[in-house]
Amino acid sequence: MGVTTALPGRTNARRRRTGSPLGPDPERRRYGGVRELIAGLRNPTPLVRLNRVAGGVDAYLKLEWMNPFGSIKDRTAHYLLEGLRRRGELDGRELVEATSGNTGIALAALAALEGIPLTVTIPSGVPQEKLVLLRMLGATVMATPDDLCPVDNPRDGAIALARAIADSPAHRGRYAMPNQYASPDNVRAHYETTGPEIWEQTEGRVRTFVAGYGTCGTITGVGRFLKERDPGIRVVAVEPQRGHRLPGLKNLEEAKAPAILDRSVIDDVVRVDDAPAYAMARRLFREEALIVGPSTGAIAHAIAGLEPEGAGLVVGISPDSGHQYASFYASLVEQEGAVP
Amino acid sequence: MIDIRWDAELDCTGLLCPLPVYRTSQAIARLEAGQVLRIECTDPGSLADFPAFARQRGHALLAAQDQGGRQVFLIRKEAA
Repeated sequence: MGVTTALPGRTNARRRRTGSPLGPDPERRRYGGVRELIAGLRNPTPLVRLNRVAGGVDAYLKLEWMNPFGSIKDRTAHYLLEGLRRRGELDGRELVEATSGNTGIALAALAALEGIPLTVTIPSGVPQEKLVLLRMLGATVMATPDDLCPVDNPRDGAIALARAIADSPAHRGRYAMPNQYASPDNVRAHYETTGPEIWEQTEGRVRTFVAGYGTCGTITGVGRFLKERDPGIRVVAVEPQRGHRLPGLKNLEEAKAPAILDRSVIDDVVRVDDAPAYAMARRLFREEALIVGPSTGAIAHAIAGLEPEGAGLVVGISPDSGHQYASFYASLVEQEGAVP
Repeated sequence: MIDIRWDAELDCTGLLCPLPVYRTSQAIARLEAGQVLRIECTDPGSLADFPAFARQRGHALLAAQDQGGRQVFLIRKEAA
């Protein structure tokens, strides 16, 4: 039937006449399932200009919280699961992953869609709102006390526990562990989607890219893609101080550098203290009306410190929104005192 | 060793560290003070982990034995 090759509009007109249900039509932002909302070249997350806080730097933030499960980790989780599936490591298995944050939520959402049981190991002290969100999505949550490994006492007890669940002989063949810190699929997610989106959205004019040290999937994947397009593009990594309170970011002196980090694509590392990061988050709320998480504050602070002439067109990542950080922002508004 | 009675058992054979300690911690939470838990493991690391675990949590390690690749522990829950 020749009609099947018709334009989407005509197809829909035909469907209306026959009374059959509407099919997906991304141009009308009509989707067959929430998974189709995960960003990609045909469905990029927005770039939004910083008009007030960037101090003369021509900068855009890429709003990764416009992904359906709320963060840049939607891309990662999607690629991690697809990678496991492609290699046949998912067949009939459950999932286990150590994550206190956005990756867990994205994995839990995708696992729920596919009916795959997911166990998440998290460090103790993770805010109640995240724990409840994971459980609402059906994940089994194992909170890991700090002294769980009494002898080795690694800070990464949640990772050790997830590893033990995956590798224990008693569980042979039962669990697959996506392992965002070591999986090349994490890097691939950003090399194949986030990087090309930035290149397209800036029409190849991006000169500086700024992202945080976390799992290092974003900075490695985007950095590698942009450097291949133009080796002159500067890649700036934002690193918090030791003992920081910036969820999702990592100080690579106190935390192990993830296996997927490729330092060869990074030109500069900018250290950011908690206080200016939180102050910038507040400015983003109040001056740009961008409801962002603390890590975006750190990244925007680094952007505002760039030398405008040398930096050229800057793109920074805004990994997640401020909606899930009430407990982190509470002290900030309390410091401002009671309402008069 | 085994002239001690226990109130509950936990089979951690085939589990790697830190799973035995994690599951023991949960099982002890369900016991009354004074009750004894018997744990059986096959991860040799547990021979170092369980004494440290009992010391840190303030429980009494009554016995620890390595019997041909199987480790057996008796831990008494102490009042918090």
